[in-house]
Amino acid sequence: MWIEIGHFATLMALLLSFYQIIASLYGAHAARPAWVRSSRQAAIGSSLLLTIAVAGLIISFMTHDFSVRYVASHASLNLPVFYLATAMWGGHEGSLLLWAWLLSVFIAVAAWRHWKTHALSMPWILAILGALLAGFLILVLFLSTPFERLIPPPMDGRELNPLLQDPGMVFHPPFLYMGYVGFAIPYAFAMSALIVGKTGEEWILATRRWTLFSWAMLTTGIIFGAYWAYYELGWGGYWAWDPVENASFMPWLTGTAFLHSVMVQERRQMFKIWNLFLIITTFALSLLGTFLVRSGVLSSVHAFATDPGRGVFILVFMSVVLLFSFGVLVFQSDHLKTKITIESPFSRETAYLFNNLFLVVATITVLLGTLYPLAVETFSDAKVSVGAPYYNKVFIPIMLGMLVLMAIGPLIPWRRASIAQLKKSLLLPLGIGAAGLPLGLVLGIDHPYGLATLVLILFVGSTHLLDVVRGVRSRITRDGGSMGSALWRLIGRNKRRYGGFVVHFGVLVMAAGFIGSGLFQEEQNLLLQPGDSVKIGSWEITLEGVGETSKRNWTALEATIRAKSDSEEVILRPQKRVYSVNSQPTTEAAIHTNWKEDLYVVLGDPVGETWSIRVYVNPLVVWVWGGSLLMALGVIISLMGGGGVLRREKKVS
Amino acid sequence: MKTLWKIVLLGIVAAILVLFALGLNNDPRNIPSPLVNRPATPFTAPALDGRGDVSLSDYQGQWVLVNFWGSWCVSCIAEHPYLMVLAQIAQSRPDFSIVGVDFRDTQGGAERFLQRHGDPGYRHAKDPKQKIAIDWGVYGAPESFLVDPNGMIRLKHTGPLYDGWFERVALPLLQETPETKEQAAPIGVKGEKG
Repeated sequence: MWIEIGHFATLMALLLSFYQIIASLYGAHAARPAWVRSSRQAAIGSSLLLTIAVAGLIISFMTHDFSVRYVASHASLNLPVFYLATAMWGGHEGSLLLWAWLLSVFIAVAAWRHWKTHALSMPWILAILGALLAGFLILVLFLSTPFERLIPPPMDGRELNPLLQDPGMVFHPPFLYMGYVGFAIPYAFAMSALIVGKTGEEWILATRRWTLFSWAMLTTGIIFGAYWAYYELGWGGYWAWDPVENASFMPWLTGTAFLHSVMVQERRQMFKIWNLFLIITTFALSLLGTFLVRSGVLSSVHAFATDPGRGVFILVFMSVVLLFSFGVLVFQSDHLKTKITIESPFSRETAYLFNNLFLVVATITVLLGTLYPLAVETFSDAKVSVGAPYYNKVFIPIMLGMLVLMAIGPLIPWRRASIAQLKKSLLLPLGIGAAGLPLGLVLGIDHPYGLATLVLILFVGSTHLLDVVRGVRSRITRDGGSMGSALWRLIGRNKRRYGGFVVHFGVLVMAAGFIGSGLFQEEQNLLLQPGDSVKIGSWEITLEGVGETSKRNWTALEATIRAKSDSEEVILRPQKRVYSVNSQPTTEAAIHTNWKEDLYVVLGDPVGETWSIRVYVNPLVVWVWGGSLLMALGVIISLMGGGGVLRREKKVS
Repeated sequence: MKTLWKIVLLGIVAAILVLFALGLNNDPRNIPSPLVNRPATPFTAPALDGRGDVSLSDYQGQWVLVNFWGSWCVSCIAEHPYLMVLAQIAQSRPDFSIVGVDFRDTQGGAERFLQRHGDPGYRHAKDPKQKIAIDWGVYGAPESFLVDPNGMIRLKHTGPLYDGWFERVALPLLQETPETKEQAAPIGVKGEKG
């Protein structure tokens, strides 16, 4: 029953999205506002209908309706409730429905929020977003439908892929998709601004929060994915430069570039074409990500479902979107010439310019690395894979460059900076940064990249802190009050700027984590008999025994390992699980975390009397996760700001 | 925007799209194996149907698809309908046979599997202790190997075989004469650059 309601609702949503395109375009063309209004109603209507569709699919899962093929192949009677509800996006069909649903909700919100402020471009916004939604709904309805019945129904389903039975699966895809889909809104605003010919500040102000929101969601989604890979896949790492990881990283890079360069347009009316290019590219790369995951064009650990038929449709769809977008950009861009130029190489504009340059080069690096194996395979018989060495070679220097800019950028004034000013604000931080050199040697960091990162982290941290200290001081001398209240007022008055600072601090903490875990990981493959002890790093590890354990839908071999260091003693229980329906074994690493390192233990196979056990000591991994939390906090602070922008937005309209 | 940049931008976009279009024909499950272009390890094992042994050497002189499966393997259910189709193709071609290796499995489990999902009719070797599977470097199921008339492994396919696999992947190999290919492709040329 429910599945038919969902199916019907999706079909209606498709019809409504067609109507949305036609009504808004006709309304704008014939100057009939009533038609455009009805297009907005259609947008809101399809979001409600798709909500019903998603609910219908989730209910089918909750009621174990195995007469639905999608339910039968992604759930079972034994599947815990937690994963029953979220198995909805455990497969290809459902996750596309999730994509479409999120898009429809975002469209409805955008149509409602920006209706008055963007009357002129609204018809185009509605038409473009309607077309995107229609494209995805066609895919959902006709090429990979989750609404298909399976008759006769099996007694039990095939169960969710064990790798997906993890809290990571609950959070990683929705956040990632919110990021991908969220960029559709700024993209539509940018396109309609181009088409209508009003490419001033309007679209940028309207989409500032959308971009920040999407960027934050994408960041969170990527981090969740990294964390998931870290503890579920059992290889001791969190990032493998897999094509699909790259696919989520590329829009993140261009999105980051956009968030920075947008400020140049707001303040100085420069970089107009560039900003349009960046946001279009960001969304295009989001689509590319979907294509790469879902078409099976590349070999990847994420290629859960591959079907060339769908691939053709997504490719056609993507081609239309890409050629249309970049075509419009190319043909309309000549109206956008600005006479304002950069006045001095020592200015914030230049800092942003280089920031963008670095980020775009980084994106191109990743894109080349991702496409190269595809090209080789297509034009020859060989298979190649591009691995971490390639990316590290290009990436670490770029990231170090970014850190330098991060230190200088926020302090250097717009238009023109005098050498005296720079000296005043940079001398002390430079000194603190230089102190990192001996500090690093004392800490035993002998790798040049490690030392450089440490120096830069101190440099960036001190410029930011110094800036805050100066602001607080001047506030106290001006208005009096305590340090805390002055700090509170300082941040409150400019949430965007200081939110950005917090994000930067998060990046620094993460950078420390990357360097620590990247350069100083220790790994040992051990063969232990119960009772054996081994020393690794500061830990002494004893295998106490291996036993069996089980839960509702899996059984596992579980090792009991005692780990002792100078300051603590813990018991770790890594498992090898076998799920009852699906026989694919999964590894459950046992991880003990303290502030300076993770002790990460994976149980392998028995070899005669002994057990193979892999132990990693991963320094500072927890800093990667902590840094990402700081980044999220920073974005929240930035999102709360914007009163000033809103007031300006009203004036513009 | 300068005209040059316009051309560059549209050119790059078009090139990427064309690359994807061509790439759609690639098979992401065609994972290179170090065993490709090496002689297949021969095996002789009791047959699942109880009638004597099944041996790889029985199939010498023709192309043979060695399919590793087990009743415990979920993807094998998905693959099975296509194996039924392939079995018919094999019957109509004198130069192509299929042999199954039922590994890490019980006699009863395997029989129930064939009863429930259909018996494609070709023979299966029993490999309950995965001796053959280990020799052949199988790490999952299903996995399939295409062995040429000279006993060389020419292709490894990980995961279920799919509709059209024979025409698209196997047939081009079958149509090459193995003698010339053997000389043209020394060990390791294909697929070992990664």
